[in-house]
Amino acid sequence: MSGPSDVPEAAPRRLESGSFSSGLTVPDFAACLQMGLRPVGLVQGFCAMQWGWYGAGSPYMRGVSPYSSPGGGQGGYSQSWRCPHGMVSPDHRAWGQNYEQTWVEAAWLQGFGSAYGRLIEEAKEVGAHGVIGVVDTSHNLADMNVAEFHILGTAVVVEGAPPPPNGDPWSTYLAGQRLAKLIEAGFMPISVIAAIASVRVWAYCMTEYLMEGGVGYAWGQTGSTTREIEQISEAHLAARSLARDHARGQLGSDTLHGISISTTEREVGAGDQVLECMLRGTRVRRFKDFDPMPAPRPTVRLS
Amino acid sequence: MSATTPQSPIDARAEMLSAATWLAKGGGSPGGRAVTSDLSIDEALLLHSIGWEPVELVFGVSVTSVPTGVWTWGRGEISAASDAHNLAVQAAAERLGHECATVGGYGVVGVRVSVEVRPHHVDVALVGTAVRPSGKKAPVGRPFVSDLSARDFVLLTSSGWSPLGLAFGASFIYAPRRAAATAIRQSGQNIELTNLTEALYSARESAMERMQSSGLGMGAQGVVAVKITEGPMSFARHVIGFTAWGTSVRLEADRHVYLKPDMVLPLDDAVIQFEAQSLRG
Repeated sequence: MSGPSDVPEAAPRRLESGSFSSGLTVPDFAACLQMGLRPVGLVQGFCAMQWGWYGAGSPYMRGVSPYSSPGGGQGGYSQSWRCPHGMVSPDHRAWGQNYEQTWVEAAWLQGFGSAYGRLIEEAKEVGAHGVIGVVDTSHNLADMNVAEFHILGTAVVVEGAPPPPNGDPWSTYLAGQRLAKLIEAGFMPISVIAAIASVRVWAYCMTEYLMEGGVGYAWGQTGSTTREIEQISEAHLAARSLARDHARGQLGSDTLHGISISTTEREVGAGDQVLECMLRGTRVRRFKDFDPMPAPRPTVRLS
Repeated sequence: MSATTPQSPIDARAEMLSAATWLAKGGGSPGGRAVTSDLSIDEALLLHSIGWEPVELVFGVSVTSVPTGVWTWGRGEISAASDAHNLAVQAAAERLGHECATVGGYGVVGVRVSVEVRPHHVDVALVGTAVRPSGKKAPVGRPFVSDLSARDFVLLTSSGWSPLGLAFGASFIYAPRRAAATAIRQSGQNIELTNLTEALYSARESAMERMQSSGLGMGAQGVVAVKITEGPMSFARHVIGFTAWGTSVRLEADRHVYLKPDMVLPLDDAVIQFEAQSLRG
């Protein structure tokens, strides 16, 4: 999209119609009003992204050779393994690499960031202080090599409060009682944060062998018939740690609260995989000290 | 658990206005290291009430190989699969504890356990939040690992007990076959299949025994919140897998502290969770 505003023409008409729409449940709506938050509109942002070509001949191509620069010199994670067997045959996998696909992460962030920017733009249109109850999804459109990002939430005005800094509304995945408790605990939501890490595994001979059911010892060695597949374990750990670190990079010294994390893996060959880890949460900032909490009192519910 | 009722009701409107005004006036970050946590706000508050705080979201993962051929027909326990499971769990828990110690945590609570048994490998992933007593920097001793929620952790420690680690046990067995003549003789009858009963019974006991042994190995007095999974492998229906795990605990106080719970009859709706997915029908 281009032009001064990224939101469709219908959006301002809908938002200026004089009534509000909201994605809040009735209990959350009630809690929202109790906190002095007035819903002013259901706001959303979209972005459809075409994935680039990362294969042979692509400027993004990485990792096809042990001598290339995994991560493309972009500071990405990379780890290598070498075959313990020496020269066996030309098709023997003498080296293996795990590396971060920074260009995939950048594309995902671009899609998510564009959709989020449009959500915030719609919220600004209605003069909101914040957006609560944010929900975001991303999925591939049918067979088109295109991913759609969709973020929506309820724009709210804090009755009597001055405009947010730079006019940019804050946002949070929370709503209702959870948001009320967050505020009571002394935390102010700043923004939703989502981060992704993509790790490509190029298996070396032992990883390929073990992932296909080979017995667990290298030639000449004896021992247990099971063993850890180190390259895959490291890749899983790296994907999760990188996603956390990417989110941490957006935090400053704030807190990322209520994280949800999910990991997907896609097998692309014998032992070869792409691992993706997605992490979401609400960035919150302390605006007052914790009030001293009384010791919890155990209770037994009678319902 | 519920917090003691405060002396005066909370003015949620004033709190929200105060927070939004503070932010509008350029409220900045407090400085220091950022915190990441998958705890809910209730859990964070409960932890705070006993003087603990979240530090970092931490992970432990291990993928262990299972050799070809172990899932084909046979008799008795499939020890290679059980070994692979135990190895993966131990390695994942060790990494989780190590990562916790690295960030200055005293232990990990609310660990989500994911175990996937596949034809050629067992995948174990543990995710939880490292916690510590508020303001304390250097952990003492080996961090604990617990799949108890922060709520259960608060209750456990208030009762004088401490979590030590995850106790795990697994057993994979072939479903025993009957001889053809026996199967024909028993067809159409109401009859106990003793070979199957014995095999499954034995496998269950083995899994639980291993879990208890791993708890004892940590110096625990018991295992709480035990979870048991069982069922045929999706890729080998003639193999039945049993796993059992829970948090091993030890009494740290001189004696168990009885908490005397109050009876509560709530008047609110039990379902208060925000569910915006309903927007999508």
